[in-house]
Formats: sequence, structure tokens, C-alpha cells
Amino acid sequence: MINLTIDGKKIEVEDGKTILQAAAKNDIRIPTLCYHPVLEPYAACRICVVEVGLRGKTDLLTACNTKAQEGMEVQTRSKRALGARRMNVEMLLARAPAAEPIQKLAKELGIEKTRFAVKDPNEKCILCGLCVRACEQIVGASAISFVERGTERKVTPPFGEPSEACIGCTACAYFCPTGAITYEDKYGRKVIHEELHLGPTTAIRVPIRQAVPMVPFIDTDACIHFKTGECKVCAKVCDREAVNYDAQDEVIEVEAGTIILASGFKSFDAKRIPAYGYGRFPNVISALDFERLVNASGPTGGKIKLADGSEPTAVGIVHCVGSRDENYNEYCSRVCCMYALKFAHLIHEKAHADVYNFYIDLRCFGKGYEEFYHRLLKEGTKFIRGRVSDISDMALTKHEEGKLIIRVEDTLLGMVRRIPVDMVILATGLEPGLDQNQLAKIFNISCSQDTFFLERHPKLAPMSTFSDGIFLAGTCQAPRDIPDTVAQAGGAAAEALALADKGTFALEPVTAEINKDLCSGCQVCVGLCPFTAIVYEKDEGHSEINDALCKGCGTCVAACPSGAAQQKHFRDAQIFAEIEGIFLV
Amino acid sequence: MTEAAKEKAFRVHLMVCAGTGCVSNHSFEIKEALEKEIKKLGLDNEVLVVTTGCNGFCERGPLLVVQPGNIFYQQLTVKDVPHLVEEHLLKGRPVKKLMYTPPKEKTPIPVLSDIDFFRKQVLIALRNRGLIDPEKIDEYIARDGYVAMGKALTQMTPEKIIAEITISGLRGRGGAGFPTGLKWQMVRNAVSANGGAKYLICNGDEGDPGAFMDRSILEADPHSVIEGMLIGAKAVGATQGFVYVRNEYPLAIKRMTIALEQARAYGLLGQDILGTGFDFDIKIVRGAGAFVCGEETALIASVEGRLGEPRTRPPYPAQSGLWGQPTGINNVETWANVPSIIARGAKWYASIGTPTSKGTKVFSLVGKINNTGLVEVPMGITLREIIYDIGGGIPGGKAFKAVQTGGPSGGCIPKEQLDLPIDYESLTQAGSMMGSGGMVVMDEDTCMVDVARYFLSFTQDESCGKCTPCREGTKAMLDILTRITEGKGTEEDLSLLQDMALAVKDSALCGLGKTAPNPVLTTMRYFLNEYETHIRDKKCPAHVCRQLNVYTIDEERCLNKGKGCDLCRRNCASDAIQGAKNEAHRIDQSKCIKCGVCFDVCNFGAVKVD
Amino acid sequence: MPKLTLEELAKIREKTKRLTTIREGGEYRAKVCVHMGTCGIAAGARSIMNALMKELEERALGDVLLTNSGCAGLCSREPMATVEVAGQAPVKYVDLTEKKIKEIFEKHVLGGRIVTEYALGIGSEKTDF
Repeated sequence: MINLTIDGKKIEVEDGKTILQAAAKNDIRIPTLCYHPVLEPYAACRICVVEVGLRGKTDLLTACNTKAQEGMEVQTRSKRALGARRMNVEMLLARAPAAEPIQKLAKELGIEKTRFAVKDPNEKCILCGLCVRACEQIVGASAISFVERGTERKVTPPFGEPSEACIGCTACAYFCPTGAITYEDKYGRKVIHEELHLGPTTAIRVPIRQAVPMVPFIDTDACIHFKTGECKVCAKVCDREAVNYDAQDEVIEVEAGTIILASGFKSFDAKRIPAYGYGRFPNVISALDFERLVNASGPTGGKIKLADGSEPTAVGIVHCVGSRDENYNEYCSRVCCMYALKFAHLIHEKAHADVYNFYIDLRCFGKGYEEFYHRLLKEGTKFIRGRVSDISDMALTKHEEGKLIIRVEDTLLGMVRRIPVDMVILATGLEPGLDQNQLAKIFNISCSQDTFFLERHPKLAPMSTFSDGIFLAGTCQAPRDIPDTVAQAGGAAAEALALADKGTFALEPVTAEINKDLCSGCQVCVGLCPFTAIVYEKDEGHSEINDALCKGCGTCVAACPSGAAQQKHFRDAQIFAEIEGIFLV
Repeated sequence: MTEAAKEKAFRVHLMVCAGTGCVSNHSFEIKEALEKEIKKLGLDNEVLVVTTGCNGFCERGPLLVVQPGNIFYQQLTVKDVPHLVEEHLLKGRPVKKLMYTPPKEKTPIPVLSDIDFFRKQVLIALRNRGLIDPEKIDEYIARDGYVAMGKALTQMTPEKIIAEITISGLRGRGGAGFPTGLKWQMVRNAVSANGGAKYLICNGDEGDPGAFMDRSILEADPHSVIEGMLIGAKAVGATQGFVYVRNEYPLAIKRMTIALEQARAYGLLGQDILGTGFDFDIKIVRGAGAFVCGEETALIASVEGRLGEPRTRPPYPAQSGLWGQPTGINNVETWANVPSIIARGAKWYASIGTPTSKGTKVFSLVGKINNTGLVEVPMGITLREIIYDIGGGIPGGKAFKAVQTGGPSGGCIPKEQLDLPIDYESLTQAGSMMGSGGMVVMDEDTCMVDVARYFLSFTQDESCGKCTPCREGTKAMLDILTRITEGKGTEEDLSLLQDMALAVKDSALCGLGKTAPNPVLTTMRYFLNEYETHIRDKKCPAHVCRQLNVYTIDEERCLNKGKGCDLCRRNCASDAIQGAKNEAHRIDQSKCIKCGVCFDVCNFGAVKVD
Repeated sequence: MPKLTLEELAKIREKTKRLTTIREGGEYRAKVCVHMGTCGIAAGARSIMNALMKELEERALGDVLLTNSGCAGLCSREPMATVEVAGQAPVKYVDLTEKKIKEIFEKHVLGGRIVTEYALGIGSEKTDF
């Protein structure tokens, strides 16, 4: 440990700490400009100069990179230190009059006006080099650097041209303390709706505010470290040393008696309908995007805003996007009508905008649903019956300029209409999960034609599957809303519990069996069994059937070349005897 | 020259100076003319023409020294050559009219060592100047070259070498004067990162206006630098050296390249040098001409291929330098001193100089001085001796005003301090610095405000721009000084200038910024009255600051002496002069742009400046 | 080229030193000055000079200085030469031939013994250099 005094205060710090760190730990503020805790000290702005006495000599040193030494007497606000600091701030004020941190610092130090010549009143760059160092030390790209010297010095990529080394991470803009570095996005402005079209996120983040568990994860696609091997800022600032770059997906094995599948759905990708312009127009968003936008913990704090930050005056909601459509999914997604009505209500309430609903049929089944529809009608929400043909930004009249134009055939009026709006919400339907077929194979269950899981019986056993002990809940079985999902899940849980409580289940009486003496061990049956109930016993040289798995389908019996496989109660001999009996009558 | 001729003895050697100064005065043409003439007279078996490095007396170039006899010829032209060869070489009659005659005297001085310019000099770093052909390693070896290296490699331990350098009292000749022995000890003690190499660097990025010490040494005696670095390498345990030369020194680069090749061919560089198992090699790195790269940390960044800007020390390069490895970095002149110290012993070296500054220092003597050139003098010599004895005083009978030492970062020393014995401490005390050894002499016609402005415009231009005080401060100070020289200065400017100079000196990052205000501070310290005259009376006493000059025409003189020659009116760019031939002329002050052309063209002294 | 040893380095030094000592203005074994005014050249001073040059080259001497000067003032006794062995008074030789100068070189310059039969006198006026 090192003992020193700062402004007369006795301080003890660990060896290797700088004066700045020692001061910060003891709540003594030394102003800095070019310093950043995760970057190497640069000592260029000379704002953090302090007067240091050591072994009878005093000197003016920069606190950011001078290591604390035993017996140092540091004065952060001596006449000499303040004099130099003031002069440097005053000179920076002349260089970058528009830089807010400088204006603030000047005010603090009692500088009202700079006495030096101002070259550009709009200049913001103070040449602190944070951007350059961030690009080099954090990103590892070194895409920008200083060029020229003296007062001509400036930050630029090589030859002032867009650099191939730049990975577009915008770390430079993030580190810039004065906003001198801005960046453009594809539409020439900072788009709040990004990727999910909803605001810039960082590469390490908690997925959503209500996430359980409340733990951040690293988005390896966005993370600079996984691109360049550098950065590791999160690890540098994490006191608990909790950041692990080597973490991989794990396979966890659990033994269970019963299984409930609730693998959910996938939202229809609206990009598949190019005419709707999703992904092309920033203000055409999907239902999920809107849910995030309108969420109080979302990027806009729940305010409904357009990509440029302004509020919409007219919003169109297009129903049945990807549902009830021969080109995509024939089925009705069941939930869209009601959530679309909810959106319409929220928009009306929050943004006071006109809302247009474009529907085929309004399916407001269930308790209170129809009443909600009537309420919306009263609120003035407009309903247009007809399928939207396309959405464009090509204005034909003056009042269409700058708007998105929804083209639709109004089937009630019998004419094609053009509705100009600011924002379009696509009420995307529900689709089975991407890996639905794979899951079905793993659990030995079947899928219906639309790839949703097939229940054992649509009316009598909607939660069960053909595999005993495996149950279904929610949208993996069919599109359904939250109340239905909860109800089904409750049922599935009850069935699972009943089974677990009993501890046993009744075997199928009609199963197959293999006569060991007749079995040649050809294994034809093993590959054919849809329930993987047959195993080949290598040591004994014949196949065997697991009674608990066998469903008595008879496939093996039909296929067995030696007649070793026989169905209980339906043996070949019995069947032939029955046939004979019939002919005898 | 053929191998056979190399082995041959000649009765006369003609030492033609081929330093950059003389070369630009056509010394190579003189050399060719000499060779042609000698051949013509059939003397080519008797007389050898040798091109040497800079002789030092650049004022008088192109130079020729005839050996034996040490006869010094100066300001030669190709036309002089036939006469010179016939008289001196054929008939043995030295040619008096080509010899040097000191100002104010009539008798020429034939022998070089009798000339004041040379007599007071003590040559250690420049020990081989004018005596060897720098492109022939054998001639360097003949002058006991590589003896010290042999001694260091075979008889001395690294500790012994460092002890020897420490006792000698050698200090860094780049300007800061850090004890060389101590620096080497630091490099030796430093542990290299990841078991990597240690490096040596020779700093030849000489950038001060009017300074050419390093260039001369590299041109005249490159092997002395190589030998010094070899000794240093053994002392600190380095395996690779770099000579950083600015690209504006093509001759130095050429000669150094040749020297390195020759040394490598002899196995004096490379692996297993002299069979001792010691490895060391040197590469040349060419600088792109940024002044700040003379600062060691900026230089290291430049060698690494990075932007040449300094960083704060510590860590010192001796601890973490080139590519993070311990690096010994010394100036050209420092390295050139090392072989002599090892060969002749630390005690001998320490016997020269003052208690704190040992040995000799090379200065480039320029400005308003009779004998412009390169001089090597013992520490402790007075400014007066350098300026008046060696330099031959101020030309044109003008009065001495000040001498600026230490380059653009140095300060101006007034005539009251002429008897100041020169060493590191005394110069610092006087507000200046040793620097790399530039010495600019100024006479009464020099305006000190303008001098400060000039040097500041240089540092302002050369500031790398990394730290605020240097980047913004030098510019702001330059603005103020320019304002003063244009007659727009105020009393507040003076105090602001003073405050700024102190703040910049106090808080700049590297040596460049910390010393940049020195010309301002010293001129304000010693010549404050000139500043005040500029501000209060709007006058420049030396008439240098044109915007403050008032040009008038003595009408009587114009008419009587010049008969109204009308030359001034015809040359006036702003139609400010009224009058016609045979009439007295007058200047309309409201139109005058103070260009001074009328003053320059008037043949009758009728135009007055005030 | 093979790498040098310390001994080989010393050899190079010795060899080159002999050829370049002339530049040092330092210590010499002897100086020989051939008087080469018009009278001297007419009387054959050039051949005397050539003979001396040959001696120097053959013996590879670096510490014997060979210079020339103008007329020595005694034109009737040309060719003339002055030999000055270090630390001794200069000696003027007159009426020289190639044979004579070779003898003088061997005996006086190298051996230090004055060849009195060819000498004009000892301790005459000093040569300039």
C-alpha cells in the first residue's frame, strides 16, 4: 500500500494506482477530458494537471497517468495547477466552442469567455483522441487516426475515405464526449427501429426488462470481441468477474416420467410478403415490433413514435398477414383479430391517431370480445373490409406525400381505395416453430398437415399425444390465445400429475412379441418400428420388444420374414382361424 | 579507385570537403577539376584527391586542405584549380590569394591549425573530420577506429563499460543532458518483456533550424557512430540498433548505408563479431521530417511505424521503449563520443569541461557571424570565445545583440551574459538550454519580438497537436506576437503572453511544448523594452517589423542628389508615391502598404524609415 | 569476405595508417623536400621526385613525408633536396641524381646517417613545412 496526501487528506491506495484513481476513491474530483477508465491514459488534454510534491521537488503532473508514490503531496487545486488548467480549458474553448463538456468546465473554472481566436463557432471536436483509442484498443480495428499536426490535427479514416477496416460498430461515436462524431444509418438518420427495428441495443444486455433470470447475455453477432478479439470492456468493468467469453450452449439431461411440450410458435415473417414493404419502409412494423414499441420498458418508454421520432397521425393495421392465405398459411391464427383491436385501442388512446383496420372477417369470439369490438367502433376506429394489396410510398396526390399508402379493395363499397397513413402494423399470424418436425421425431409424436403437433383426439384427448406420458400445451399444438393456452396447460399439467401420482400406467393389451427361437436377428423390424420399441440384443442374436413402448400397430408383425413377430391376441394363427370360421358359416 | 591504387602511397593528399555545405557550393566539381588537372600535369601517381566529410568552416566553402602541410584553401572555384595545381603541387608554391584572410586583416593564414576558427576547437566527436574519406572503412580503422570496440568486446565486461561511461561524465548531447552511463545502466537493468530483445537507437532526427551537427557527423564519420553503438550494445545487452535519420539528409543516409555495408562485410556488424560470440546489427530508419520525432518517445513511435507523437514518461524508453522493450536511445553526437572515451579512458574525458558538464560539445554557429560553421569546443568555454574568437565576431561592424542557443526551444542570451561559461546548467539558468547545439547569433538589426515570433511560428508549425497547451498555446501565443509585430498589441497582451508562456511550459506533455515558450520568455526577460516599444510607441527599433515602419522621402535630398529620379514611384506597388522626374517625391501615408520597396530601390538614401 | 579477427583488424589499421599518416601533420620519421622551381624541374627534379616516390611505394612507408617546394635559391646546384629527420636539423643535398637520392634515402632518411659527400650543409634555412 502507498501513503500519500491529496489536498491535505491522508490517503492509502494500492500500489500501481494513479493519482486520479486514488482521488476518485476518496471523492476528490479532478476534471478530465481525454481520460476513460477502460482506455490507456493518453495525457493529452492536460486538464487533470495537479501539483505534486515529492522529495522536496514540486512538479505539475497529469493525474490520469501518474502513479501514486509513497510520500507524494498532491494539490489538485493549487494556484499553479488551477492556472494551467484554466488556461488549457480557455484554449479548448476557443478551439471547440460548441463542445458542451468544455462549456461546463469553463463555467466551473470561472471562465466566461475565451480570450483567444475562435476559428469555428460550431466546432465540437476537442481532439481528446478517445475515439481513436477506442477504435484501436477496444475494437482493434484502427480504422481512424489523427492526421496532420498542430492546429490542423483532426480525426479521420485513411485519406478521408470510408475505411475498409471500419466494422461500423460506432464505438467512436459512443466514446466521443462532445458529440463531434455522428454516424449515419441507411436512411440518413438514426433509426430507432433497428434489427427488430426497435432501437440500438448493446451487444451485452438483459434480453428484456422483465427477463427471468435477470442476467445479461452477450450477443455474439453484435459483440466486437467476437469480431476482432479485442474490446472485453464488459470484463474490465465487471467487479465480480462474471463475464465469461467462453460460455457455450450446454446439453442438460433430465430423467422424467412425464413430459409436457409447450414449445410455442414462430411469428410469421412479414418479409415474405414483399408487397407490404416490411424491412423496406422503416414505418412498416410487425405486431411484435409494435408490442415492444408500446411497452413501457421499451425503447421509447411506451410512446408510439415513428422512425424519425415524431408521432403518427394515422395508422393502418393489416389483418391476416400470413394467415387465411393460400399462398402462406390456410388456417386462421385465431389471435390476430383481438390483438389488432387491442392495438387500435392503444393507438387511439396514446397517440390520438386515426386507426384503420383492414380485415377479412372479424373473429371476435369469446367472452367480452364482441363488446370490445363495439367499444372500438364507438371510439371511431375505422374498419375496412378487404385484403390489402400493397403498401408503398409513391404519392399520387399532395396529401399522400411523405405518407405510406395502403392500397385495398373495399369489398363493402366495391372499389379500390388508397389510404395514406404514417405507420402500418402488420398483424402477423402464428406459425409452428422452426424445429417442430424435429421435436416431433424426438418425442415420437405426430404432426398435423400444418405441422402443429397432433393431439391424440381433437375432442376427447386434446392434451394427450399418441405417446403415453407426453402431453401438449399452447401454440405448439394449434394457434390459440393466452386464456386458451393457460386452460390447456392446466389440463396437461393435471394429466401429467395424475400419471405421476399413480406411478404406473396400463399397458396396451394388444402388443407385439418376438419368438426368440424363430427370430433370425435380421433387424428388419427394428428400423420399421415407429415407436422405437424394438431393440436388437446382440449377445443373444435376436430382437426384443419393449412392452411399455409398443403400441401394437402390427408393422413388425407384417414385416417379419420368419414369422417370429406376433401380435398378442391377434396371432396369425388366430386370424387365419377366424377367417376360416367365417368361410365355414 | 582500383585495389592497387588503394595500396599505393602518394606524396600529397588533397582533402576536398564534401560535406553538404561544400557540396552545394560545387565541391564535387572542384574535385573533378583537380583530378583532371593533376592527370594533365602527370601528377596522378603522386597526388591523391580525397573527399572528406564536413570540415566545419562552412562559411568559406568549398574547402580544400593540402596535406602534408595542412594548407587551407577556401572559396575555391573551378577556375582557380589549374593555377592552384600548377603552383602548389608542381612548383611547391602555396597560393596565397586562395588562402583565408581573417576579417579586418590583410595577411592570409596558410596553415589550418593557425586559423582562429580551428585553433580553439577541441575535437572528440569530430575527431576524424577532414581527415578521412567517410566512404572508406579502412581510413576510419587507420585512425584507430574500432580499437575501442575491440577493447570493449574482448577485455571489458558490460559493467566495466558502463562504469567507464559513468565516470567520464558524458551526458546526452541531444539537449536534455541526461547522464549517458545512468541511461545505459537503466537499459541493462531493465528486464525485456517476454524475453525479447533490447534495442539501441541513434537519434539523428535533427530538426532545429540552422543546426547541422548530427548531419555533419553522419556525413563525415559514420563509423564513429556505429562503433559507439557497438560498444553501447555490448554494455546494455542489445542485439539490434536503429539509426533514425531524417530523409532530408540524403548524403548522411548514403554515407551511413555505405558504412553499414562495409562494417557488415568486415564482420564488425552481424553475428559473432570479431569471433567473440557477440551479435549486433544496425538498420537505418528514415524519418519523414516531423520535428517532434526528435523527441524520443515520438521517434520510437515513428520507428514502429506509428503516428509520430510523444507519450508521457515514465515509463522511460530505457524501461519500455521500442515495441515495449528496453531501448537505449542517444543522439548522434553522444554515440560519436563513446569510442574515444573507451579508447582513451574516462579520466581523460572527465578532465575536459566543467564540474557538471564534461567533454566537448559541437555547435553549429550561424546567423550574423563572420565564420559560419560547425565547431567543437570544450564545455565551459564562454560565449564570447565562441562568437568572437572562433566565430570572428559580427560582420559589417554591427553590434552584437543576442545569441540564441538550443534551437527553437532555446532562449536568447543577451550581451551582458557573453562571458557565461557554457554548460548544461548555466544555459538553463540563463533561460535557454543546451539543446542539440544550434547557436544563432543576432546583431543590432534583429528585432527580438520578431525573433520570438519566428521561433514560435516554427514550433507552432511543428507541434504534433497531441496535447492542448502545445497545440493551442503555441498558436495563441503566435497570434499575440504577430499582433504585436503588426502594431496591434495591447498592454494586456503582454501579461497574457507571460501567463500563457508559463502555463504552456508547465503543462505541456513533451519537451517540445515545455520548451516552446523559451524564446518568448527569454526575449521578454532580457528585451522587454522592445516589446513595450512595439506596443506603446508602435515602433520597431530594428525596423524589422514592416507594419510599424513609416517611410518618408527627404524631399531636398531627392531633388538635389537624385534629381527626382522617379525610380521609387515606378516601383511603388500601391501608387502611394507622388511626383515626377526632376521633382521632389512624396509618400502618401494613407496609401502606403509599407512594403519597403522604395527604401530598397532608392540609390540616393532619400527614403527614410522610422 | 571472411569475418575479421582483432589481429586482422590491426593489420588493416597498420597498412592504411602508413598510407594516410601524411594527413595527420603529426609525427614523422623524416621529411624530404624536393626543390621544384623552374630551375629544379629543368635540371631533373621530376626524376628525383619519381625515384623517391618509388622508394616510398616499394618500402610501403607512411611516416616519411615527401614534399616539394619552389626554387631553393641555388639554381646552379640543382636538382636539390632537403632531408629533415625528426628531431634533427635539416640537411640540403645538391647536384642530385636518381642513384644519389636512393643512397641518401636509405642512409639518411631510414638510417639516420648524413651522407656528407652529397650534402651542401647542415642547418640551413628551415623549409616552410
